[in-house]
Amino acid sequence: MSLERKDEYDHKAWMKKKDLTPIEATFLTTLIWLDKRFRIVDYLELLETLYYRVNLQMPKSHTEQYNLDNKFWYWYPLYTLGLFSTLAYVVAAISGALLGFYYSPATTGDPTTAYSQIEFIMRDLQFGFMLRSVHRWAAQVMVAAVFLHMLRVYFTGSYKEPRELNWLLGIVLISLTMVFGYTGYLLPWDQLAFWAGQIGVEMARAVPLAGEWVAQLLFGGFTLSQSTLQRMYIIHVFLLPFVVTTLIAIHIGIVWVQGIAEPH
Amino acid sequence: MTDSDATSRTGDADQPRRGRRGRRDIVVPMRLYKTITVFSTLIAVVSVVLGFVFLDAATLQVSALRAVISNAFSALGLSISNGLLSTGLAVVGLAVIAFGTFVYILGTRFRAQGMGKSQEDSGEDSNNG
Repeated sequence: MSLERKDEYDHKAWMKKKDLTPIEATFLTTLIWLDKRFRIVDYLELLETLYYRVNLQMPKSHTEQYNLDNKFWYWYPLYTLGLFSTLAYVVAAISGALLGFYYSPATTGDPTTAYSQIEFIMRDLQFGFMLRSVHRWAAQVMVAAVFLHMLRVYFTGSYKEPRELNWLLGIVLISLTMVFGYTGYLLPWDQLAFWAGQIGVEMARAVPLAGEWVAQLLFGGFTLSQSTLQRMYIIHVFLLPFVVTTLIAIHIGIVWVQGIAEPH
Repeated sequence: MTDSDATSRTGDADQPRRGRRGRRDIVVPMRLYKTITVFSTLIAVVSVVLGFVFLDAATLQVSALRAVISNAFSALGLSISNGLLSTGLAVVGLAVIAFGTFVYILGTRFRAQGMGKSQEDSGEDSNNG
């Protein structure tokens, strides 16, 4: 495997031997001329050799061994949903960090500061409408992609031994994704957010034994107030980003170590 | 299998010949086949992209290429009407795309020894050794 020039093939003599039309002869001469100067084919052959040599080292996969490709190929696009979720997360993180420059979680004033800041972003800020829309859509896409990713993992049996731990970690991640969505949903502090918050408080209180404590901890009381919004904000922009980013890193790291699961 | 196929095979099997649908079919060495495939595809792709850049310049008033060309004309002291410029750019664009198509189609005439014909699904005819 080297880029050393091989013995030149005598193209000219070969072409004379053939009964070519002038257009074909010109075509071939031009391409040979290009080939001698831009040695793309040589580099591609190098990559080809590399590809086959690397694959020689690999044991036959389950899919290859039982020739499952025939029946299974239409699943393969769904194997990209995990990456798709990660990409949505990265987009949401970047757009969210930019939104953070303009948002402030205060319930003071009428309309509240939080709500006015959203209004400012949507109406007055250059590219603000787009920025918030990108953030919102990235969030929606992430929730959908994570859920579909989970379905794919379930129906291809990818959660099976030795990958049970990563499946459990995935369940934690899908839950945290929804917490991300919920806390973000409350931040505009409009009617939708307020009553969604009210439902959240009621749901927390409905938990047996620990309910009231959970409601106090997450919502800062049983009625919505400044502390509710402040907690949602800190959970959304401080707590969850660290936790979820770390867990995603571990989740992907485990996939890296264990390899993509073969279909079962 | 037509008669012309049979006669051409009894002669020199290496010579270009007309396929079933009257298309030329030229067997080339493998390395040359790679050159043809890689470069004709590359030329075709670049031509189509370039052609659309020209078409853009013909139809889009904000095109950078169009701005460069009209600035060049005014720098030379020539005035050119918008309509004429658009027509010229559109013709060039279509010509470039047609050129790329031509190169690509020309490339499909060639195949390496032992390959199925690129223009139909049939395998290579056996010539009994």
